[in-house]
Amino acid sequence: MSYQELFPIPVEWLEDADRSMAETVSAWGEQEVKARRLEHKEDYDALLLPAMKKLFLDIGLQTLLLPEERGGGGMNSPEAATTATAVLENVGAADTGIGFVFANSLALQYALAIAEKRSDEALGSAAGVFTGDDVSLVSLVLPGYGTDTGDKPRYYGLDFPATARKADGGWVVTGGPARPQCCGASAAAFAVVCDLGEGVPGVLLVPGDAKGVQRGPAFKKTGLAASANADVTFDGVEVPSSALVLEGMTALRGMLSWYYMACAAVCAGSLQSVHEILQEWGDTRVIKGKGQIFKENPLVASLMGEIGGKMGTSRLLTYNLARMLSKPDVYGNAGGGNLHVTAISAFKQVGRLAMEAMDNTMELMASAGYATEWNLERYWRDVKTVETYVVPETVAETCMARQYFNLKQL
Amino acid sequence: MRTIDDFTRPLEYLTPLDRYLGEIGRRWADTEVIPVRRDFDEDWEHHNLIEPCFRSLQGEIGFQRMLFPEDLGGWGLGHSGYMGAGAARLFEEVARADSGMAVAFGVLFWPLVMICVEPHVNRRLCEQFAPMFMQERPVFAANAMTEPQGGADIENMEIVGGSTIQTTAVLEGDEWVINGHKLWPTNSGGVADLFGVVCTTNPGSKDPNDLAFIFVPADTPGCTQGGPYEKAGMAADKNSDIWFDNVRVPSWYRACGPGLDAMYFKEVISLGNLGSISFVSGSLMNVFEILKDFAEETTFRGKPLKENDDAAGVLADFARDVDIIRVLTYQYARMLDRPDLYGDRWSDEIVAKGRAYKYFACDKAVEDLKRVMNLMGAHGSDRAHDVEKHWRDLKIVQLWMGGKQLCQMEVARWFYECETL
Ligand SMILES: Cc1cc2nc3c(=O)[nH]c(=O)nc-3n(C[C@H](O)[C@H](O)[C@H](O)COP(=O)(O)OP(=O)(O)OC[C@H]3O[C@@H](n4cnc5c(N)ncnc54)[C@H](O)[C@@H]3O)c2cc1C
Repeated sequence: MSYQELFPIPVEWLEDADRSMAETVSAWGEQEVKARRLEHKEDYDALLLPAMKKLFLDIGLQTLLLPEERGGGGMNSPEAATTATAVLENVGAADTGIGFVFANSLALQYALAIAEKRSDEALGSAAGVFTGDDVSLVSLVLPGYGTDTGDKPRYYGLDFPATARKADGGWVVTGGPARPQCCGASAAAFAVVCDLGEGVPGVLLVPGDAKGVQRGPAFKKTGLAASANADVTFDGVEVPSSALVLEGMTALRGMLSWYYMACAAVCAGSLQSVHEILQEWGDTRVIKGKGQIFKENPLVASLMGEIGGKMGTSRLLTYNLARMLSKPDVYGNAGGGNLHVTAISAFKQVGRLAMEAMDNTMELMASAGYATEWNLERYWRDVKTVETYVVPETVAETCMARQYFNLKQL
Repeated sequence: MRTIDDFTRPLEYLTPLDRYLGEIGRRWADTEVIPVRRDFDEDWEHHNLIEPCFRSLQGEIGFQRMLFPEDLGGWGLGHSGYMGAGAARLFEEVARADSGMAVAFGVLFWPLVMICVEPHVNRRLCEQFAPMFMQERPVFAANAMTEPQGGADIENMEIVGGSTIQTTAVLEGDEWVINGHKLWPTNSGGVADLFGVVCTTNPGSKDPNDLAFIFVPADTPGCTQGGPYEKAGMAADKNSDIWFDNVRVPSWYRACGPGLDAMYFKEVISLGNLGSISFVSGSLMNVFEILKDFAEETTFRGKPLKENDDAAGVLADFARDVDIIRVLTYQYARMLDRPDLYGDRWSDEIVAKGRAYKYFACDKAVEDLKRVMNLMGAHGSDRAHDVEKHWRDLKIVQLWMGGKQLCQMEVARWFYECETL
């Protein structure tokens, strides 16, 4: 039985076109990543970049959500949420890091092409970033912990990575060093959440080669080899007024809701490969003297049951979130308080469940799970890195508490 | 200012050498390892950076000698009455710097336990192997038990009774002839000079008399090792395949003899569990140091992270667990140091309790580190902070030595007197 059959989601939410796209991406994963990773491991130039080129350019994910008239894939309606989830699941199954890199791009594509209050001007000026002949990586730069105390506008307690001020018909972006979500060292453009004044958030698209953009050295991290990250400083970077992708809390939260959905899909997709790895191990390993097939041991089986439950739940949660985001007429704006918090909560749950399932799988595979040869450990490192990056635990919890229990001060 | 030394230890259990071991270990870690450890991951294959750190710890400071009797150049820890507490202190300090180094260092003593520790000192083998370790270069031993078909079964002495061991030892005249294939021993991959090899003299037998623990110098003809495996962490510990192809060693290279090898091998397990708990304790103490700095320097809601109630909750849980695990470390060390009070180190009770403490400490550590990484956000998975390194490294401490499920079974078996598990 296939993973899709084993862990069903409401299939009526997917169109034939979605399924076919997911299959294309799944085939890409097998050929371009899985078949080659024994040889190339996590080599960026030999494995990950060529695979991203095929995925982003040949298959077309780089422009998936942009309107056709702008050279995009034409999926510029909220329905694309389920398509994107089916696609991202398969990207994550191949390589969590590539999935995460795509999630960053997807969030921006959403804000430009689908969001309720999108700006045609911004879309026009940003489209060039996506439609070139080369892979164009996009990096979200979100609010994060700070280093100074004192009163200033903050985003749920986190410091804005930059401020943007109007000048000469455009914007001047100043801030950092800030830690982008991904690709700080390799991004073609940064989507920077800025304080536009008095704490009003906005996202400005800053080209990676703009004057005043300074990237630190690429730093080492636990996982996500596809994302060469580096801290970035914006030293009075001048951008035109069309660089303003979105403005205001609701619009920002809408983009983040899609981002959380995309990251959840990547984590849920990684579990698909973990299932495959554990299945193979469970079928062939023998324990307790001669004869007991690993998976037939009751203690092992109980843990495998839990792992399977986590896989199924992760998938269900992710697709349910996607469905809600795909139907703003029913569920409201992606940036509305309820839906946004549902998105945070779903991502947090999926990330946690994925980590637990992978931790437990590693326990069952002992040294094999820890060796790079079996590939489990790379998903384990990658998903943990996604979990740490996307939204700090404390902020997620505060946002959820505020919405669910009507907090007034935090 | 609060430091890691404020984590509790039962003071009456410590060795008279505690202060010296601690100070020497701490200085070595701070000056030689911590400044360079961030590059250890890339050094997994060649150990260009790692080897000099071992050289000073083991060869120059001389810790590799410590288990052997004094008259053979050792420090006599094997008959000191505080082997457990001494080892715990030193392993903690080494693991604070790098738990991969701690395991490589700890395992150097592991097979030697069979011959250097009272009441089963094998004087002839001590005399034979002591000179190997009285050198300025780092010398390692390895404990070769895991085989391709599984490690957990070999450690599952109660139920499986050695019946799955496929490495055979046949006595021909006054020599053992050993054939077999081992996987994963720490300090394989060309590192160790000496192997302690778990063999069977009668394949398929569950009779304890048929389990043999035999020493094999690594340069014995017929003994070959593969290259090190690449793994999620613990770069300082090399692991590989070892093949024994008609390897011949003198008959007196068997550690203790029929029945006794199997019995004292359980003591090896107990000490392995003590080592594992100390590695956890030391690593967590280092995470505490890093976390404390991070939570002071980083701001959230306009004040230091640690001054936010929600963050403080996570910080508190972490400190609570470090404190408990440290107490547990020394409690188990004490139990091993005082068999007159707690029972033999190889008894089922001591083995089961060691398993319990080990998997408690490991489970807690892995969960705690995940939370700490989440609290630190993008910095949690940044190698510059080393927290993620401890997380990757400690995951294997949870998995090795038979894996968690074997721990659960042994604990259930002892406390609930299960008969069939
Ligand atoms: C860094 C590192 C260092 C190591 N150092 C050494 C060393 O120094 N010497 C050495 O000999 N080996 C060493 N090992 C190997 C390690 O001890 C084994 O990996 C471990 O014992 C588990 O064996 P295995 O990997 O063969 O898994 P298996 O034996 O196949 O066990 C796999 C899983 O099966 C399950 N299982 C096993 N038995 C039972 C049971 N009775 N009931 C229910 N479930 C069960 C558990 O989930 C277990 O995790 C090391 C491994 C690593 C990664």
